[in-house]
Amino acid sequence: MDSAQYAELFLTESREHVSAMNHALLALEQAGDAGGVVAGDQVSAIFRAVHTVKGMSATMGYTAIADLSHQLESLLDRVRRGALQVSPQLMDLLFRSADTLEAAVEEAVQGRDAPPGTASLLDALRTFSRTSGGMTAIPAPTTGSVWSVEVPDGDGVGIRVRLVRDTPLRGVRAYLVVEAARRLGTVTAISPSIGQLQAEQFGDDFALRLVTDDVEGALAMLRSAGDVADAVLAESAPEMFDLLALEHAGPGLVPGGGSAGPRVQHHVRIDLRRLDALMNLIGELVITRGRLVQLAMAADDVALTETVAQASRLVGDLQDEIMQSRMVPVGQVFDRFPRLVRDVARTLEKQVAFTIEGTDIELDRSMLDEIGDPVMHLIRNALDHGVESPAVRVAAGKPPQGRLTLSAFRDRSAVVVRVEDDGRGIDRARVIARARERGLIHGNGADLTDDDVVKLITRAGFSTAERVTDISGRGVGLDVVVAGVRSLGGSVDVRSTPGRGTSVTMRLPLTLAIQRSLLARVGGETYALPLTHVSETVELTPETLQAVKGREVLVLREDVLPVLRLRELVGLPRSAQADPEQVVVLETADRRAALIVDDLTTQLEIVVKQFDGVRGGSTLFGGATILGDGAPALILDVSSLL
Amino acid sequence: MLICDDAIFMRTMVGDILQQAGFEIVGEAETGVQAVEKYKQLRPDLVTMDIVMPDMGGIDAVREITKFDPGAKVLMCSAMGQQALVIEAIQAGAKDFVVKPFQPSRVLEAVQRVLG
Repeated sequence: MDSAQYAELFLTESREHVSAMNHALLALEQAGDAGGVVAGDQVSAIFRAVHTVKGMSATMGYTAIADLSHQLESLLDRVRRGALQVSPQLMDLLFRSADTLEAAVEEAVQGRDAPPGTASLLDALRTFSRTSGGMTAIPAPTTGSVWSVEVPDGDGVGIRVRLVRDTPLRGVRAYLVVEAARRLGTVTAISPSIGQLQAEQFGDDFALRLVTDDVEGALAMLRSAGDVADAVLAESAPEMFDLLALEHAGPGLVPGGGSAGPRVQHHVRIDLRRLDALMNLIGELVITRGRLVQLAMAADDVALTETVAQASRLVGDLQDEIMQSRMVPVGQVFDRFPRLVRDVARTLEKQVAFTIEGTDIELDRSMLDEIGDPVMHLIRNALDHGVESPAVRVAAGKPPQGRLTLSAFRDRSAVVVRVEDDGRGIDRARVIARARERGLIHGNGADLTDDDVVKLITRAGFSTAERVTDISGRGVGLDVVVAGVRSLGGSVDVRSTPGRGTSVTMRLPLTLAIQRSLLARVGGETYALPLTHVSETVELTPETLQAVKGREVLVLREDVLPVLRLRELVGLPRSAQADPEQVVVLETADRRAALIVDDLTTQLEIVVKQFDGVRGGSTLFGGATILGDGAPALILDVSSLL
Repeated sequence: MLICDDAIFMRTMVGDILQQAGFEIVGEAETGVQAVEKYKQLRPDLVTMDIVMPDMGGIDAVREITKFDPGAKVLMCSAMGQQALVIEAIQAGAKDFVVKPFQPSRVLEAVQRVLG
């Protein structure tokens, strides 16, 4: 069987099981010694996860993983039976095992050897088992081609049975053979005893006495009992190991067997690349649809227009279905964070209560793969720079245990992900000092608002860590996170109150490839505004536009919004036309602004084409798209505007 | 055929082996409870049953299925080192067993034996 086709399936499922294992380990650790039933459940859950990985890896031929999970399983079995107590040493070993198992799975699928440390972990697992009570040794089976047992005394004919060498679970096989004999007549004696057979305390062969009318028939039945190399009458001369006997158990399958019942299957696993290909195709189709709609309108043919409208709707439905099939709950990525928080908090000697909310919120698979790292960095940053050590917290009048919350929720055509802590907040003085050092600002920064200070952190080239720590070091500061999220068409907002905490909010489109956008026209050119960042549109009336401290603002109901003019942004003179201009209210995670444009044409699904290699140029646009009439349109990067 | 295993990987593999040999998979179950329900509902000619499953283990599921249909044909899927459990399963009514890692020929031989 070609194992390669199962590798992907193996990877996906093993990851899930390692994740489940980590969850159960955390719960087990929290339950502690007083865990009782909870602890028992968790140990069983870990055991199941490890057991399943073992079975899969052995099938795939990944022997290193199979060995590791086998040792782990033995250890867990002892814990489950109460022979081994849950101790901090055991927990450390189990956590380490989960990590190694995870790494080994990834390596194995890539066709590489087990990660370094696997051998020493195996030793550690074995040593732990030994020092904590010892393992029961399973006697090695004696093998040979001569009969090793005497036929016991008793009524009936003596029958010798030899199992195929290396029969898996030969104790059970022997038991099944004896059971088969019992159905054929009366078994009066067995050697070795049935108990010894079950315990695999025998060589390759055993003997029994059977009272039956049809000796030849009985022998034939026993030979076909499975894994039986031979079954002979004891009175006949000992025979050599006969491979031909194997053929008795050979397959002779009846194709088309099985019932004609209904086929029940609710899930199909699809290669992600196939979904990506579908997504690309639907993207092209969406562009073509735009062109088709325009052509049909120009042709002024009712039948054609109706047909195109219907085809257009169908394309829309098709797109929805494909998008839906790519959606996965964020929990799939969030699931690994409790373990991360535990490890990081432990290293930093901080106490943290970690909460996750909205794990069932769905995102496009490609988007989800991309946000894992940014969220991880935010969590590490929060633990490293945000949450204080217990002593500092108590001194500041806070409870010693910090709070860290990761939440996700849906907001119209966007998904919002937030990381929030109740730590010390962003240190204004340090940020300003660092910004000056980096040449991002000049002067003492006294005129900067708190908001401006927070924005500095997200500027490229800024990093708050004074030393590169193991935790959030490696040069991944908030500026890098922000750049990453923006390249996905999302935005990041940071809010911080000194002494009270920090929250970082990401607003993300549901998918990478296709974005519903509003098309705005300015000076004969079309620009796309992704709906992820559009809150509403209003018509501009003179009375809503006011000047505050020399800056233009728009008064919208209760809100006062800063005003941006697209004409100015793209370097055109102000419009002299009398037509009422349109206002688009833009929003990122926490900010809003009013963008004034000449005209709004339509809402459209656009296929986002990222810019290649024009880094350092204009940050005003996040990409480009091709409209229905074949004309290109630039996509406004809303987060760079606000 | 009804395939019971908590791992999709295993269900897929067993399913492929059986389908390539011309058998029809009428259902799959992820837990012991599901296995019993689906057996009653689908009445398959043969059930492959994992031993370690959440909810209700494979052995209890065999017991329930045999109680419902004494003629039920259940093939246990076990791992190395589970001899005591497999024997318990056979005493509960399972007809035969295969050991992971699965070799298609071994699975098919066992299926053939159970179907008799």
